[in-house]
Amino acid sequence: MLLDVRGETCPYPMKKAIEAMERLPIGEVLEVLVDHPPAIDTIRMAANRYGFRMDVEPAGSGEWRIYLRRDTMR
Amino acid sequence: MHDIRLRKPMANPSAAYGAAPPSGVHHQTLAGLLVLASLAVLMLVGSRVDPAFGTFAVLGVAIGGTLQRSRFCFNSAFRDLIQFRSGRTMKGVIVGMTVATAGFGIHMRNLLPNPSLGPIAPEAHAIPLSVALLVGGMLFGIGMVVAGGCTSGSLYRIGEGYLASWVSVAGILAGLVLASHHWNWWWQHAIRRAPVVWLPRYLGYGGAVAATLVGLGLAYGLVLWIESRGGVGVQEFTAPASVRSFHEKLREIVAAVFGRGWPAPVGGAVLGFLNVLSYTAHMPWRVVGELSRWGNAAAAVVGLGPGPLQGTDELSACVVTVGGGVFTHGFLLNVGLIGGSLAAALLAHEFKWRIPRRPVRYLQSLGGGVFMGYGSGLALGCTAGAFFSAVPSLAVNGWIFAMALVAGASIGLRAINWIP
Repeated sequence: MLLDVRGETCPYPMKKAIEAMERLPIGEVLEVLVDHPPAIDTIRMAANRYGFRMDVEPAGSGEWRIYLRRDTMR
Repeated sequence: MHDIRLRKPMANPSAAYGAAPPSGVHHQTLAGLLVLASLAVLMLVGSRVDPAFGTFAVLGVAIGGTLQRSRFCFNSAFRDLIQFRSGRTMKGVIVGMTVATAGFGIHMRNLLPNPSLGPIAPEAHAIPLSVALLVGGMLFGIGMVVAGGCTSGSLYRIGEGYLASWVSVAGILAGLVLASHHWNWWWQHAIRRAPVVWLPRYLGYGGAVAATLVGLGLAYGLVLWIESRGGVGVQEFTAPASVRSFHEKLREIVAAVFGRGWPAPVGGAVLGFLNVLSYTAHMPWRVVGELSRWGNAAAAVVGLGPGPLQGTDELSACVVTVGGGVFTHGFLLNVGLIGGSLAAALLAHEFKWRIPRRPVRYLQSLGGGVFMGYGSGLALGCTAGAFFSAVPSLAVNGWIFAMALVAGASIGLRAINWIP
């Protein structure tokens, strides 16, 4: 599932990521595209709270791709 | 484990940020160096006119670079604490004020050796404790959450390419003009007779510094307590242990300073140190007094200037202002801040034109900006002048403003929940 929140600033990227995490079917990966650097931290906070594991990789200048997976270890 | 995991092992630490082209230098690196070189030329030319020009331009650039690198956001410091019980940014803010408290105390003692006589150290951000401070702080708190950034935050985001931040700043200027029009009423009815509680007058410098440090320690403890009640921790990025050779170590340092974001306490400490330098050169770091001058100058052009303002020469910090030359120290701090943030964003390959896709975001930026402008006009400062520079000024008003900000930010968060 892909969520594109480019152009959004805090707290919207995190809010929308939470909504998407709640809807995410079991076994699927949520891919979030952001261009607001602080959102990496706020989405990480949300991922921790909702039990998701998070990976980040740069996706061009000023953009990042975030992968959220349900953390099965907890 | 909740750390950032990069998909591939980090053989090259600099790969952690903006993917560089396979050969040659990234175009944003070149642009960043060009911006820095242009700023340096401007400073050198300006310093021939006035030596302080260079000092404040350098300070502005350094502050902008620090804000950008550490994503130092007063808005998120308050908002994340309320919403997520996460004190990551607030701890950085407290560290910064701790550094500045010691430096401000020493500098104020040099300026005014005997504080018990009555006057307050020149340029200290000691602001009357009036209803205007409370109302201003609350309005500011609402505005910063709705707009998604405070005043200094909006300025440094202009440097990062955020279009909405231009709208926020326009709103802030409009709010400051409105506050200037209402200023005489607030002065007469609230600010004029209100007491200024400047701790060195009662406790001496040693006692005032000690009391402020104890207060900051207790605030840090409160943040830890809030975090312990179901807060979510965020682990700071740590350098990969495999870094060995000198070349790799150098690359790692460059990546840590110019590439990855700085940890919040590092950003806070650097900002606190720059604040001390700014005060020793003339005045603590402040933003909105200068912005009110811009707003009122623009308003005067279309015949909407506020007219004479009462009592402003009796007050320090960010009092609303009319007139004055173009190249003031405040002008250099604010414009330097935008330039420093632009250079830092380019060097980190993080610059991007960021354009909101939902029209309602422009309204939020404008409305939030007006709230921030009006609030900071009443409170004689924003999160920089009335909080970050006020607590180290050993004045009680910084703490009161912070409480009003918490109340305002809580209201702002409720408002945000209604706006999809």
